[in-house]
Amino acid sequence: MIKVLFFARLQEEIGKESMEVEKAGVSVSDLKKWLAATHHLPHMTQTMAAINENYANDDDIVNEGDTIAFIPPVSGG
Amino acid sequence: MEDRYARQQLFSGIGKEGQKHIREKSVLIIGAGALGGANAEMLVRAGVRKVTIVDRDYVDASNLHRQQLYTEQDAKDNIPKAIAAEQRLRAVNTDTEIKGIAMDAKADNVESLLEDVDLIVDGSDNYEIRFIINDLSQKHHIPWIMGACAGSNGMSYTFLPGETPCLQCVLPSMPDVGMSCETSGIIAPAVQITASIQTTEALKLLAGRWNDLRKKLLLFDVWQGQPLSINMFHAKKADCPSCGEQRDYPSLRYSFETKLEVLCGRDTVQIRPSHKKEYDFSSLEGVLEKHGKVRRNPYVLTCLLHDYRLAVFQDGRVLVHGTNEVEKAKTIYHQLLS
Ligand SMILES: [Zn+2]
Repeated sequence: MIKVLFFARLQEEIGKESMEVEKAGVSVSDLKKWLAATHHLPHMTQTMAAINENYANDDDIVNEGDTIAFIPPVSGG
Repeated sequence: MEDRYARQQLFSGIGKEGQKHIREKSVLIIGAGALGGANAEMLVRAGVRKVTIVDRDYVDASNLHRQQLYTEQDAKDNIPKAIAAEQRLRAVNTDTEIKGIAMDAKADNVESLLEDVDLIVDGSDNYEIRFIINDLSQKHHIPWIMGACAGSNGMSYTFLPGETPCLQCVLPSMPDVGMSCETSGIIAPAVQITASIQTTEALKLLAGRWNDLRKKLLLFDVWQGQPLSINMFHAKKADCPSCGEQRDYPSLRYSFETKLEVLCGRDTVQIRPSHKKEYDFSSLEGVLEKHGKVRRNPYVLTCLLHDYRLAVFQDGRVLVHGTNEVEKAKTIYHQLLS
């Protein structure tokens, strides 16, 4: 089980702050693709990820018990 | 005013020594909107030697709920933000040299401002300019403090050339769909917190307290939820085109073509001519009066057409309000202005 946190606009798009998924062992980019497909999230490729509060690259692996946060770019100012 | 900085230097993080450093430093702020204005006011009050603030827009009534430097009169008169900001900031602190520049910040014109700059503060509202700031920061070895906010969210990160990853490392491709104030709205507290975090980092840098810098990306939602701090060291890429060994600063490749740009979510197209133009507003007024009501100040001339509104800047830029269609804007521009 891994815990997925959503921030900013993603939270609005998906309608919740977090969810738990049985996806341990996949890469960050595969998890992004899976979320994009199953939850109709069009902008996942431009979303930053952090595993256990450390910046994660697309080829990093999400392990059992990890918390991964997805942070879409905020641009305003 | 001998003791105007007394309380600030009494704070142990700054001290007399730190205040002396702050008084010697020069800061460039890109953008005089909500974040740029809030950062500028705090830094000017703090006694920074020189603050330069650049902005391409003019004050609009829809800015007033969050952009603290501006008044209703500025909005009524369509005063460029850089000009209105300079006036306000000069009234705040005569110790600080203040320069407001009304221009569309691009790689070439920003680079020409960097000579004595110690720090760049991001008050912009888009990633195109942030990637330019990032490349200039790397090329000239000047730290920059990113800030962005929309809705009730805000984020900030301090980029230190040679130490931290750069923006290009963090976001390998430029986001085209960032969460903006036009799509998600914005509340003033989200601005003020983001700007306060940026100014705090700026004071540490300017006072020479580099060890006290935050070193993490901070993200918060002021309406609900917990803030998140992210350790960014894994973001650094050895082959980064902006900060890696083989770098070519991809965002600094100049373009001298006439550039049309849809200002996202604002129902506005900006047209930047290939060469700098200087309009004679009184003769332009004579021409445009036949098409609609004209108003002008020394910096901007506006003309209210049937379905659109034109705003012509001294430097030749034109905003066509009332359309998101580049072709339509181009037609109007060529019919009336060339
Ligand atoms: Zn980099």
